Amino acid sequence: MNRQIQQENGWSAFFHGKGRSILQWAVFIAFLVFPYFAFAGGAATEAMSVEYRDIPGIGSRNLIWVIAQQHLLLAGFVLGVPIFAWVCEIVGWKTKEPRYDKLAKEFTKLLTSAYATTALFGGILLFMLVGLYPKLMAYLSDVFFPSFVVYCVLFLLETATLYLYWYGWDAMQGNKKTFHLFLGLLLNVFAFFIMIVPNSWATFQASPVVVAEGTAIQRAWAATWNPTWWPINVHRLIANVVLGGFICGAYAGVRYLLAPSQEEREHYDWMGYVGNFIGVFGMLALPFAGYWLMREIYQYNQQMGITLMGGFLAWLFILQAMLIGVLFLGANYYFWLGINYRIPGVEQSYKKPIMTMLVVLLLALAVWMTPHSLVASLEEARKMGGAHHPLLGVFGVMSAKMTVANLMILVTFMSFIMYWRAGKQETATWAKVAKVLMGSALVLAGVAIIALGVYGYFVPALYRINVLSVSQVLIVVFILVTFTPLTAVLLKSAKTTHEMVWGKMPIRAGYSLVLNAVMVILLMSLMGYARSSSRVHWHIYGVMRDTSDYAYSPALGYAAAFMSLNTFLFCLLVSFIFYVATMGDKGKGHTKEGPRESSVKIPVGVEPAMAGGSASASERIH
Amino acid sequence: MSEVALLQLIGLIVVGLGVLILLFLKSMFIRVVGFVVIVLGTFSLIALGVPQMASLPPAVETFDLAKVKTPDDLAAIGQKIFFSKGQCALCHSIGPSASARCPDLKGIGAKLTKEFIYESLTQPQAYIYLDFRHEGVPKEYPARMPYISRNPIALTKQEIYSVISFLQKMSGEPISVKMEEVLDQKPDNLKVASVNISSHGLAHQKAVPGSDLIVHE
Repeated sequence: MNRQIQQENGWSAFFHGKGRSILQWAVFIAFLVFPYFAFAGGAATEAMSVEYRDIPGIGSRNLIWVIAQQHLLLAGFVLGVPIFAWVCEIVGWKTKEPRYDKLAKEFTKLLTSAYATTALFGGILLFMLVGLYPKLMAYLSDVFFPSFVVYCVLFLLETATLYLYWYGWDAMQGNKKTFHLFLGLLLNVFAFFIMIVPNSWATFQASPVVVAEGTAIQRAWAATWNPTWWPINVHRLIANVVLGGFICGAYAGVRYLLAPSQEEREHYDWMGYVGNFIGVFGMLALPFAGYWLMREIYQYNQQMGITLMGGFLAWLFILQAMLIGVLFLGANYYFWLGINYRIPGVEQSYKKPIMTMLVVLLLALAVWMTPHSLVASLEEARKMGGAHHPLLGVFGVMSAKMTVANLMILVTFMSFIMYWRAGKQETATWAKVAKVLMGSALVLAGVAIIALGVYGYFVPALYRINVLSVSQVLIVVFILVTFTPLTAVLLKSAKTTHEMVWGKMPIRAGYSLVLNAVMVILLMSLMGYARSSSRVHWHIYGVMRDTSDYAYSPALGYAAAFMSLNTFLFCLLVSFIFYVATMGDKGKGHTKEGPRESSVKIPVGVEPAMAGGSASASERIH
Repeated sequence: MSEVALLQLIGLIVVGLGVLILLFLKSMFIRVVGFVVIVLGTFSLIALGVPQMASLPPAVETFDLAKVKTPDDLAAIGQKIFFSKGQCALCHSIGPSASARCPDLKGIGAKLTKEFIYESLTQPQAYIYLDFRHEGVPKEYPARMPYISRNPIALTKQEIYSVISFLQKMSGEPISVKMEEVLDQKPDNLKVASVNISSHGLAHQKAVPGSDLIVHE
């Protein structure tokens, strides 16, 4: 494998070989020398009096916006993919099925290709911040310098581990597999710390903890452990998995659409399923992490919380609801397509449940998107008796939205359970009782969630937030953690009535995967904008005011146009990176006689373990 | 052409381009690009359709003492500050609101003394309001009144007095803020007189100095 990599030429070799080393050393050196230049005396004193610099045309704030967004999206991808790539490798190691190992390697190939570009944008961002916002960067350097050093060391460790993990993949098979898995674990540990260190810089800007006394390390530590640091860490950890999963799913979706052979279609159909599965399961946990973050923001500063959800950013959360709703619909739609096209013969029996779920999702989305205050003329407002519609205004408050969000999570989870059980018949003696219990629990959970939501209208806000909403979340979590193992046990002894076939999904399945990825990328851009704007005219809230020409937050339309631009640029960027990374594959995969067999063969009728393939199916292969 | 109209035009062009790609181009990858372009253009158009609100930094206003001749002048300045720099209206309502987390300030100038309001704004933790409807053991997640005299709001003493004047005038009370207090540049040593709990139905707890403990009175 090492010899194969060395034979790659052009851009591919640059991204995989020397070019990346040069880039990463450049970034490392920039980190180390920057404080020297920042604090050198003499001629630097005059430079220190410059608070801001500007870029004509685009403006410094917009330039930083684009570069930071690209860096964050790429970083989210390269930090999220190792998590599920490693898990996929473990599944392959445990089940002894090589297709999981090959899938894990394919995930890692995408990650490795994107890694250099992530570092590149990080370096560009650093230079631009230092040059355009010297006042802010001098202050942050003063507070966080010890963590800058830690970050550089982590970066080196992560890079070295990734090199070993990727380049040593084929060499560390057999007896050395456990060591390779250990490297994967190390990679994820370093990736986690690489994420949480810069998270502290960003969260410090929103919820600063400024300690005047103490050593540099003590001050940096106090600033690091600020009120919104851990909620952001948890939220971003889960979101990175979701982003990575859906981007890999979109990659597979596009490859599926472009596949020249049936073998490649089967492979990318399966990869698309796995990517969507990872994205969906991460997505189920994400609203809870976001809710915790919002609570901590309110706890830290009520005004910031109200600015976000009741002030000028309130309509942003309607857009967020719309994007999440489309994402839930897209993810569910992909599962339903899978039931119809991968398991021929079962379509009719799932038509009614799918229709019911679609109606529930659409109603839930409509409620979630309903604003509290309507856009109305004076005459219309007079007729309504105010800015709130007498009927629809009821749905514009958090009690309704928390209820439907939890219901949408439940429906999505049930789509997956339905897909998992499709084409199988349970043979366990207690299967009927188990299914009745599960059905009853599901209905009770739905009723309880709605009842708690309705009750929330009649209690004080703090009681609703701290008791009722938490109860709704716990009900959903209970369903998730009980149904999953129960279904796994039920299906262990199930017999397959309808074989699963891969590579037969319609074209719209590929588009659906692309849509899901675009929604996630847009959501990350949108919520990043929300977090930055919640600081309003402060660089560091309550500590350092923004006195530049850009000390305002633009209107939502302008911001959304920028988010769309960032999303499009990112899609082009990753398309280019993935295209370059897989140039070698295309060369190997095609001969003059026609396409070679794909390196990953998925036997017809076999479902991957992640979809809960039955033991009997596995036995048939071996 | 306004910025919104220009952006809407661009959004329509972008969506139109995507539609043309899907209609006339056969290359699958380009068709996927066209699809993405339609989605992004549609998102932008929807975002341009909701109320457009920019957040501007508050205007730096100087408190011109020369312009303050009467208590009513002070109340007028206070009203301006209440709805702008003070950010009071962000959390408080004037009039009943079932979903409010902060006290309704209607009539507050008649219910509370000048000294108590001043202390509530500058030292909200002196008498801690964990939940303005709550009575009993302190809750884990209390509502918190920010320090109005500190960043990020940082009202000056004169500005705080002007807000108090506004609250008193709004409540139909004579304004008790004296011009000497407004003109006095020295830091204030206002002491709070004992307050009747039942007059405004608020639970009181007292902070134990030098600790995070809250003692229920």
